[in-house]
Amino acid sequence: MAGRVITVTSGKGGVGKTTFSANVSAALAELGKKAVAVDTDVGLRNLDIVMGLENRIVFDLIDVVEGRCRLQKAIIRDKRIATLHMLPAAQTRDKSAVSPDAMEKICAELRSQFDFTIIDSPAGIEGGFQNAIAGADEVVIVTTPHVSAIRDADRVIGLLEAAEKHQIHLVINRLQAEMVRRGDMLDIPDIMDILAVELLGTIPEDESIVVTSNRGELATLHATSPAGQEYKNIARRLLGEEVPMSPLEEDTGFFKWLARLFKGQ
Amino acid sequence: MGLLDKLVKHLSPGGYGQQSKNAAKERLKLALTYDRGGLAQGTIEQLRDEIIQVIAKHLTINEDEIEINFDRTTEEDRLIASIPLRMAPRARMKRGQRIEAS
Repeated sequence: MAGRVITVTSGKGGVGKTTFSANVSAALAELGKKAVAVDTDVGLRNLDIVMGLENRIVFDLIDVVEGRCRLQKAIIRDKRIATLHMLPAAQTRDKSAVSPDAMEKICAELRSQFDFTIIDSPAGIEGGFQNAIAGADEVVIVTTPHVSAIRDADRVIGLLEAAEKHQIHLVINRLQAEMVRRGDMLDIPDIMDILAVELLGTIPEDESIVVTSNRGELATLHATSPAGQEYKNIARRLLGEEVPMSPLEEDTGFFKWLARLFKGQ
Repeated sequence: MGLLDKLVKHLSPGGYGQQSKNAAKERLKLALTYDRGGLAQGTIEQLRDEIIQVIAKHLTINEDEIEINFDRTTEEDRLIASIPLRMAPRARMKRGQRIEAS
């Protein structure tokens, strides 16, 4: 089997890389693909807690790199979706414990066993980022409609092109329809114009992301989560399906508006 | 913020004055042009001073109205300089007449 290795990166921290990695891996698995989400944020691991798998870690990525266990042993199998897996990062080491060469070897092994290997990159453009992209066939850049995130995304696109990674997809996260309507938030065409890479999907600001990650659940498994549905659409697009981009939807109901007004939002 | 303020803000486009996304877009485009070229943003000021020096050797220019901008499109980056000249006195003007800079 020759699977696809897709690295999820952004430059800026806190834009939603880990949430994206967890949910798109789950959505791909739900669609019947064998998927593994890999945490490469050594020293600051989080994919495990977002996916609700933090209690099941015995071995990690560094144990594999340093030969203490076989890859198979470090990979955790999810109990909710049979084809979903996770490879955790080490928490007590730092980024220098891995090298781009070591990552390339691990990616090659994962590529032969999984349809999709989703690599969650750490923030930044230093060693951890270089490790995360070393074995990637494709890269997903997650950004938000904020000037800081877009500037960092542009920098990362430049670095990816220099590293000969030309298959770049863009995901715009945390869009707020109401602010876009007012002209107080950069819109999808504005961001596309600035970054000029192919758009894979957009994700609305959604409280259910906080709620599901609080519980270690996956938003993509909740039919009522707008963001969760978008992760599913993104998974379908990765599989080559033509899924039209969802329009930005606003809560237009009068009572919802009134409730927001009183809540001070 | 009072409830009335919120109401006004909610009903008026661009609650904080002008639509701020335009500012975001302009500022980002400029910053990215410098980032991509590996230039410091102070370079434009230096460039401006040096252009003035070179042109002033040959022509009288109106320094206050010089505009130097980067323009970015998906195809190319362009440096656009607009340098208004201060016109020499015309022959029909009487000798000794003072010309004010516009």
